[in-house]
Amino acid sequence: MPTSTATGPTNGAKQPIWKRLVSSQETGLLLVILLMGAMLAIFGGTKTTQYRIELDQSTVVNVLDNSGTLHDFGAIPLPQVEAYRVEHPNGDRQIYARADGFRYDASQSVIFGEREENRFLDDQNLVNVAKDASFIAIMAVGMTGVIILAGIDLSVGSIYGLAALMGAIALHALPEDAGLVVSLAVGLGVSCLVGLLCGFLNGVMIVGLRVHSFVITLGTMAAFRGILFVKSQGQSIGGFPKSYTSGFFRSEIGGTQPVPVLFMLAVVAVGYFLLAKTVVGRQVYAIGGNETAARYAGVPVGRVKIIVFSMLGLLCGLSAAIYLGYYGAAEPNAGQAYELKVIAATVIGGASLMGGRGSAIGAVLGAIVIQLIDNGMIILRIDQSYNQIVMGSAIIVAVVVDQAKARLAPKG
Amino acid sequence: MGQPAGHSDRVLLGVRNVSKRFGSTQALSDVSVDFFSGEVHALMGENGAGKSTLGKAIAGLHKPDAGSITIAGRTLKPGSLEDAYSAGVRIVHQELEQCPNLSVAENLCLSDVPTRQFGLVDFQAMTEQASTLVHRLDPSIDVTRPLGELSPGRRQICQIASALEEGAGGISSPKVIVFDEPTSSLSISEADRLLDIIRELAHSGITIIYVSHRMGEIFAVCDRVTVLRDGQFVSTNVVSEIDEPTLVEQMIGRRLGDEDPQPTHSPGGEARALGKLADIDPDRPTATGKVMLSVHEMSSPGKLHNISFEVRSGEVLGIGGLVGAGRSELLCAIFGLDPKASATMTLDGQEIPIGNIRASIAAGMGFVPEDRRHEGLFFNLGVDENIVLPAMPQMANWKVPFGLRNAAAECKLVTNRLERFQVKTASLTSKPSELSGGNQQKLLIARWMGEKTKVLLLDEPTRGIDVGTKAEVYRLIRQAAAQGLAVVFVSSEMPELLAISDRIMVLAEGACTGTLTGEDMTQRNILTLATRE
Repeated sequence: MPTSTATGPTNGAKQPIWKRLVSSQETGLLLVILLMGAMLAIFGGTKTTQYRIELDQSTVVNVLDNSGTLHDFGAIPLPQVEAYRVEHPNGDRQIYARADGFRYDASQSVIFGEREENRFLDDQNLVNVAKDASFIAIMAVGMTGVIILAGIDLSVGSIYGLAALMGAIALHALPEDAGLVVSLAVGLGVSCLVGLLCGFLNGVMIVGLRVHSFVITLGTMAAFRGILFVKSQGQSIGGFPKSYTSGFFRSEIGGTQPVPVLFMLAVVAVGYFLLAKTVVGRQVYAIGGNETAARYAGVPVGRVKIIVFSMLGLLCGLSAAIYLGYYGAAEPNAGQAYELKVIAATVIGGASLMGGRGSAIGAVLGAIVIQLIDNGMIILRIDQSYNQIVMGSAIIVAVVVDQAKARLAPKG
Repeated sequence: MGQPAGHSDRVLLGVRNVSKRFGSTQALSDVSVDFFSGEVHALMGENGAGKSTLGKAIAGLHKPDAGSITIAGRTLKPGSLEDAYSAGVRIVHQELEQCPNLSVAENLCLSDVPTRQFGLVDFQAMTEQASTLVHRLDPSIDVTRPLGELSPGRRQICQIASALEEGAGGISSPKVIVFDEPTSSLSISEADRLLDIIRELAHSGITIIYVSHRMGEIFAVCDRVTVLRDGQFVSTNVVSEIDEPTLVEQMIGRRLGDEDPQPTHSPGGEARALGKLADIDPDRPTATGKVMLSVHEMSSPGKLHNISFEVRSGEVLGIGGLVGAGRSELLCAIFGLDPKASATMTLDGQEIPIGNIRASIAAGMGFVPEDRRHEGLFFNLGVDENIVLPAMPQMANWKVPFGLRNAAAECKLVTNRLERFQVKTASLTSKPSELSGGNQQKLLIARWMGEKTKVLLLDEPTRGIDVGTKAEVYRLIRQAAAQGLAVVFVSSEMPELLAISDRIMVLAEGACTGTLTGEDMTQRNILTLATRE
């Protein structure tokens, strides 16, 4: 370590916020996501959607010319018509532009048309990406804590599957018409509790037996999955109260089903808060940075580790509860190979496997990157079998880039 | 004090004007020594005198900046282990650097594994070769057992055996063996056996260079002794013509003249200079505050034996001793890092449990460890969190379940400490790697200087920092004492120990060999106690 006595004024005061924003890992990831999005939007091609909108007899259809003036249907020649305005009896109005390919057939009282849509930028596709990313991202926030500790958890996929199964059994036992509060309490409660217990068990064994988390969670990955298979007999379990599925997790707002995404945003916010603003959060960073020094500084290392692994288990349970509500059934192979995706998301999100570094926001962005890779394969019509190859390569690239950056950074 | 005449024809190994610098430390400067064939020649000196460096330079582990080393008329290639080896120079390391998972035989043949056809390992030949070497020293060792299963003494014997390997193909048979602190990890009976082996080897004509600071061993086994001080040659003497006090005097050197009995706390020139630099009042009154820390019969298997002492509020207790005497181990045990330690300990009248770090911290103890990189600093966190981390839980707004950080109080504490301890940093969030070594050290001291701190344990707090910052650290230590803290301070540098301490407890072999106060605090007394076995 250079102990230079020639101390010039070291590089300035606190960096301005914009500079920190620009140089942060999260901004870089956001750029990557935008770039991937642009690539997919450009090269993904379009798809043609056919529309056929049946209108009631009571709806009034008018036309607009290029100056925006309203005319009765048939009052002006067709080539001058810019758009059709449909007015429902309840006062709702919609506009269908001829430029978008819409035509009106007055005899059948139908608006029909063909629309070319970007396969990637399609609303439904974007919502799907966000929804699929949510399941991974919620777990990745927990995994970030574990990886900051310089640990790893390979059992996340199995915890997710087991929590889903137990939640499913409990929900299945409820009457079909159970109320929202009851079904939510049972579904969320059972899944989260099972997840929490599994994570707690991981933590206690890692701390108590003094075995590296890799080994313990490699074992529990197989063991939890085994319990799942014994318990489920390989059958999927469905038949949940409506209030749990379409009544809550699949409820539609503005044509989309945003509940999983909303949960993800809440988890990120809480995760960010816990890691940055609480004592235990900072102790997690301290342990990952220098476990000996943390012990010497009075950090309860074992307790913090157990808390972090339990939190990850809890988040796996939460993710499983959302999965149950969204898909309405628990498959025995739910969460299989999720550990790869979750760890990949965390690492791409900037967490260092050497410990000491990582952020909740990064983890979510990482999950979006992972999901974009998944989605990109579909959009670009690449065989799904290549998925794993790309995913594996992405992890390696992320780690190599991270290490190269660390080597280039000034050392003390 | 030249060599006795008539011996010059026996010179086997000649060290001529060798110098070596590590960073800002001159480890060796212009050292010349002659080693005779078949003699046991000790290299002695204080910590950092350069004795180990000289031994390693001879064996080719260090490359000297200047000077030459010749063996039997042949000049060795500087810093080449291979060249020294082929000329017949072998080294037995201070640390046991071997592969504990491999068998003794494999360890011995590591550099040249005997093979059969297809490059398969010839285990039979290997076992035979190894047994010939090892059984010359100890016939009871089974060479097929993993090395890690042997006791430290037997592992040492195996290492000596590997040094005895006969040369072949241009490689000379062993002529010189350097032993670097060979007994530091051995039990007494093992050490005795080792000394026997060394005597036998010398009888068979091999020159032994024996680096040690244990007086008893020097007088038991060595023919001649060369004393080094601050990297410089002091003298070479025939052991039978010199006594222990003279040897100690030579190790301390000219500074001894300054140590005439004088008023309290005027411990020698260099120490006085250091004290002046840090504005330490040499005539400060003895601390008469209440007993802050009392340790009764601190023991830990293999490390510490029945150490008892007290430190008063406002007092700085220095802990002296040579490397491996158990100084750091003592601090670790007090702070609660040694689960096997046993003692009765009270802090400010309250009894505190042994082996519980958080209880120690809660009771008001602070500990600045020896290795600040590996045991002290968090390089992923900013300066602010590096300081505030131990205090963070107490300052939290809601303590359960995760403890909400109190940002305002933390910021106030950090700015206050940075100012009080003059840590030079670009910003509060700078990483410790952006700080100089001295500022890193001040940062670690600042970490522990809260309102509730009553006892401060410092392990080598000035290692690797420049003189100016050292003086600042001294001032901080005395300042802490002036505020009523009890300070326990370990240092290998005697002048600073003498300059800062009110009392000095000396350890040797994990036991307390004496406590020095007032005018007894001299380098000579420390070294005498430190080399007592």
